Amino acid sequence: MFKDFKSLLNINWIYFFLLLIIFWVGEINLYSAAGGDLEPWAISQLKRFIIFLPIVFFILLLQPKFIFNITELILITVILGLLITLFFGYTGMGAKRWIRVGGFNLQVSEFAKIALVIFMAKYFHKLNAQKTIGLIRSIIPLLISLSLFLLVAVQPDLGTALIILILGLVAIFYAGIKLIYPLLSLILIALVSPFLWTLLKPYQQNRIMIFLNPDLDPLGKGYHIIQSKIAIGSGGLNGNGFLEGSQSSLDFLPEKETDFVFAIFSEQFGFTGSLLLISIFLIFFLVPIFKTFKLTQVFNKIILFVLSFKIFFEFLINISMTIGLLPVVGVALPFMSYGGSSLLSNMIICALLMNLMSVEEKKRMFS
Amino acid sequence: MEKNKASQDSIKIFNRRSFIITAISLIFSFIVSIRLFSLQILNFSFYQKKSVENKVSVKATPPIRGDIFDSEKNLVATNASLYEFVLYKNLNKNYLDEVNKLNKLINLDLNIFNISEKLKLFNAYTPFILSRANWEQIVEFEKNKFLFTSIKIIESKKRYYPYKNLSQIIGYMGKSSDVNELYSKGVFHLEKTYEEHLKGKPGKIFNEVNSRGKIIREISIEEPIKGNSLDLTINLKLQNFSQSALPLSNKGSIVVLNRFDGSILSMNSNPTYDSQVFEDRENETIKSLLNNPEKPLLNRAFTGFYPPGSVFKPIPALLGLKKNIISEKTEIICTGSTSLADRNYYCWKKRGHGRVNLKKAIKESCDCYFYELAKKINIDDLSDLATALGLNNIYKIGLSNAQKGLVPNKKWKKSYLDQGWYQGETLITCIGQGFNLTSPLQLASLYSALLNGGKFPSPKLIKDEPIKYLGEELNTTHQKAILSALKAAVQEQSGTAYRLNLNNPNFVKIGGKTGTSQVIRIKEEDREDDIYKTKEIEDRFKDHSVFVGYAPIEDPKYIVSVIIENGGSGSAVAAPIAHKILNFAYQENV
Repeated sequence: MFKDFKSLLNINWIYFFLLLIIFWVGEINLYSAAGGDLEPWAISQLKRFIIFLPIVFFILLLQPKFIFNITELILITVILGLLITLFFGYTGMGAKRWIRVGGFNLQVSEFAKIALVIFMAKYFHKLNAQKTIGLIRSIIPLLISLSLFLLVAVQPDLGTALIILILGLVAIFYAGIKLIYPLLSLILIALVSPFLWTLLKPYQQNRIMIFLNPDLDPLGKGYHIIQSKIAIGSGGLNGNGFLEGSQSSLDFLPEKETDFVFAIFSEQFGFTGSLLLISIFLIFFLVPIFKTFKLTQVFNKIILFVLSFKIFFEFLINISMTIGLLPVVGVALPFMSYGGSSLLSNMIICALLMNLMSVEEKKRMFS
Repeated sequence: MEKNKASQDSIKIFNRRSFIITAISLIFSFIVSIRLFSLQILNFSFYQKKSVENKVSVKATPPIRGDIFDSEKNLVATNASLYEFVLYKNLNKNYLDEVNKLNKLINLDLNIFNISEKLKLFNAYTPFILSRANWEQIVEFEKNKFLFTSIKIIESKKRYYPYKNLSQIIGYMGKSSDVNELYSKGVFHLEKTYEEHLKGKPGKIFNEVNSRGKIIREISIEEPIKGNSLDLTINLKLQNFSQSALPLSNKGSIVVLNRFDGSILSMNSNPTYDSQVFEDRENETIKSLLNNPEKPLLNRAFTGFYPPGSVFKPIPALLGLKKNIISEKTEIICTGSTSLADRNYYCWKKRGHGRVNLKKAIKESCDCYFYELAKKINIDDLSDLATALGLNNIYKIGLSNAQKGLVPNKKWKKSYLDQGWYQGETLITCIGQGFNLTSPLQLASLYSALLNGGKFPSPKLIKDEPIKYLGEELNTTHQKAILSALKAAVQEQSGTAYRLNLNNPNFVKIGGKTGTSQVIRIKEEDREDDIYKTKEIEDRFKDHSVFVGYAPIEDPKYIVSVIIENGGSGSAVAAPIAHKILNFAYQENV
């Protein structure tokens, strides 16, 4: 079940340090979001990080084979968790998204992403002999993706649900589904989207309308986007400087510690800082991707690729929200948004990625 | 495990797909970067401006209005902190009990019933002003503060007018019609005219605020700038004295001019009002002021226009001399009436004045002399001379509703009444009746012109205003003739105002002219009908009593112009008042 402790030394140190850098930037950012105060966010996020570290080491030491074996268990646990969330969940901001576990409010949907990807990896790993994957072989992954999507969407949490769906689709796509199907489904989506519109909750429709024109509601729903754009835009080339972001420190920015944390960063460090951050995340994304080229085990490849993609994708979606490129759908900025579930799930992902990156493929992995 | 290893082909697919997804992600990152470039570089200044607007709130502090002083630097308009008891309905359900309690505790004499009626309709969150609070009341209230939850004392900065008697000059403040204007502004008389001069500049407090508008810190303060002060020519002592000299029973007005520089030393009108009620928003009082048929807001010395009566007579006299129609020695016989074109024109003295020369005509105010003179006068010449001597002029002294009055001429009659001029009308005009309309200030200016030899300083209310001369030079001989007649009217026996000397021999010696301004034109039949004299004439149809005089007689400095509406003859009512005022001005050397 466990690897040798020495294998810890074989982890990808570049990736590890990038992770620390990103987390540290997030810490600095939460510190400045509180107007130069460790309370209430920075210190608590740091505590969480330290509490979660043993989990990271635990995962790092796991044999990939063990993970491979408990894939279904993970998926079932997550589905159960989502069901519990739906029926006994803790309600906040008009949605049932959390269950209380120990002292934490746990957002199970964050872990559904990981479970889904691992499941996909195992599923396609088993199918591996085939050159291409047709529709029939994609049905089970699609159904699983859709059920997770629906379980999360009814909470309601459209943002997370969409991410889950997209991760599922990316996994299927990466695994090699015939190109005709993605193309067909794109056309299909374009055709049914008017119907989907009517299925959306009014507040979701609202968000999209206001995304298209934030000035419709400058003090209400559009306020987030307008204020966020002001904060980012006023950052300019080099930013206002550390702790000099007035928009954020003066509370103009709602949810500045969670969904709009990038605005805090960008106001302080400007275009230069933002590009630097994007570059760091890009490298952080590409390091595991490069590793996938050297791997032949489908299970490893899919997990590495899709989960690494997941972090970068959420990063881009989140930034796009704050700069008005996408509607506000509630996607956290990995390692920078304040929040335990997101932090824990991303740490687990990184642990998994580092674990798999250190795999020597010469060995027989799975029975 | 080998069979689970990806085939070479499927590895290629993985890599290809990997490439596609990575490429899409890179494109996505690129788009995000472009967007950031647009926000942070291209539109930087726009968002920076927005950011500053967001975080800085500017709170204006009201400007401090300039003070107004009288000629001796007494404050006549300033700013004061006023304290008021106010009620917040929303703070206590039983607010009326509290009002009752307060009323008993502090003896405010509030009409509880009225207040409760008004309060029923009043917005719960706006303070309702119960009463002004003076110092003792504040102390008493503070001692018992725990009894009250809905009543508080608030301080407000207001314009404060210590003297009611200057309201007709200073005017008052009001809400601007411009909704963007935060502060009240002068809307009447000097407060209005000198708005720019007085108003000052509001200060600004720049605060850094958070999204809820809560002030985080003060960034900077721009102190409000006090407006310029204004020094009036009005002498407060004289102003108050004159006001008390006006009989309360009649409407009327008085204006005192300094002949040398045109300074208006006092200007009173009765009835009057208190500017403070506008500042205090005493709506009931304001309403009654506006609707009062006696028009207390009217400054009768400035905007009251009446036929001048006999005080007008020096003008036709000067014209007659100038045009050589008469000389000082020219005499006529006054039989009590004269006729022109089958109409009779009567002298006020039914028995007639007998032989009358210019001096006697003015001194005894013989109408027949002026009728005879008028028969040879061209009305246009008369109108021109009257205009040159200060009548028929708009005086821009800073008061609102400035008007010209009227000395008729042919052109005027043609254009307003579409009628030709009759010489008979010249006769009536020459004794100051008919179409003539002059204000007390204009009459004072006329006498200033007479005393100054034609060129006279334009009347002014503002001390620093440079002297501006109006009028045209008079022939000195003619001027002397008129002045000696005006002196005789008061100083010599049988002068119309000779009684003044007898009544108050110790008063300063003055010259002047009485006048009686007819309110209704007495029809010929009535003139002939003796019943006219005895007929009960309604008060409002009684003649206005007019007097214009000056003192001291040797080198006159003060000119007073008095009109008492429906007061009767000039000699009986207006003249004694004028004498009292001239004496006061002279004694006090205002």
